[in-house]
Amino acid sequence: MKQKVGEGLLFFGFAGIASTLVLALLWAPSVSIDAFESPAAQRIFYWHVPAAWAAFIAFGALFVGSAGWLFKRSEVMWRLHTAGAEAGLATGLMTVWSGCVWGAAEWGTPWDWTDVRLNTFGLLTLLAIYLVLGRGSQPDGVETRDTFAAFGLYGFVLVPITYVATRIWSIRHPGPVVGTGDESSINGDMGLVLLLGAISFTVFIIGHIMNSMRVTSLEQRLERLQATMDKVI
Amino acid sequence: MTYLAVAYFGMLVAIALWTYTVVQRSRRLNQRLESLEVAMSDRFEND
Repeated sequence: MKQKVGEGLLFFGFAGIASTLVLALLWAPSVSIDAFESPAAQRIFYWHVPAAWAAFIAFGALFVGSAGWLFKRSEVMWRLHTAGAEAGLATGLMTVWSGCVWGAAEWGTPWDWTDVRLNTFGLLTLLAIYLVLGRGSQPDGVETRDTFAAFGLYGFVLVPITYVATRIWSIRHPGPVVGTGDESSINGDMGLVLLLGAISFTVFIIGHIMNSMRVTSLEQRLERLQATMDKVI
Repeated sequence: MTYLAVAYFGMLVAIALWTYTVVQRSRRLNQRLESLEVAMSDRFEND
């Protein structure tokens, strides 16, 4: 049952993301030519912002899973940790890649090493790479899990820093455009496409977390069965 | 606009591949588990 729900969420999330892209390219209104160096590239925003939102959900799952493993020694929480790391890596790379495409068109450079938000988000993605590759290369055990969970727990501090970075340090990354109440806040058709993107990415990432948790659970069951089989034979 | 469409399409293909990999991995593991369980129950019955 859970498998069907997870796969269903993936399907609907993916269909929503594909619809968002079609609407972003063909239906969403254009921005003012005077406000941007590359107005067409602005449309990548309908992918970039929902992907970053999904990344924060994934890193939230990583944080909860890490804390749950460290403090409760819960197997379910360890599965949430591994699923959060994998989902954080995928959505982090999507966000960084789409941001680089936009930066190259708008700023003339894909990355700015002086911008706080870019660098803290980049570090978060690197953390997810470390956790995913590290888990794949290390034998499973309490010490290994503790090390990775500690990184997941303390690494989460980068999430609020990334969130407030453009509010405190206005360097290069644009500031918030949703719900600010001033004239830079987006609304109407643009807001609708962005909302569809945010909902689709949320559904999609929850589906992925559910599926990844199931995969980890199956891997653990398989290891236990094989160990039992080895003893019998 | 073309490079934007290519970038968008590339990202869509990437997440489709990622999703396909996760779902296939889950189904493959399920099959391996089922066959292992059958093999084990057969062995215990024979013993």
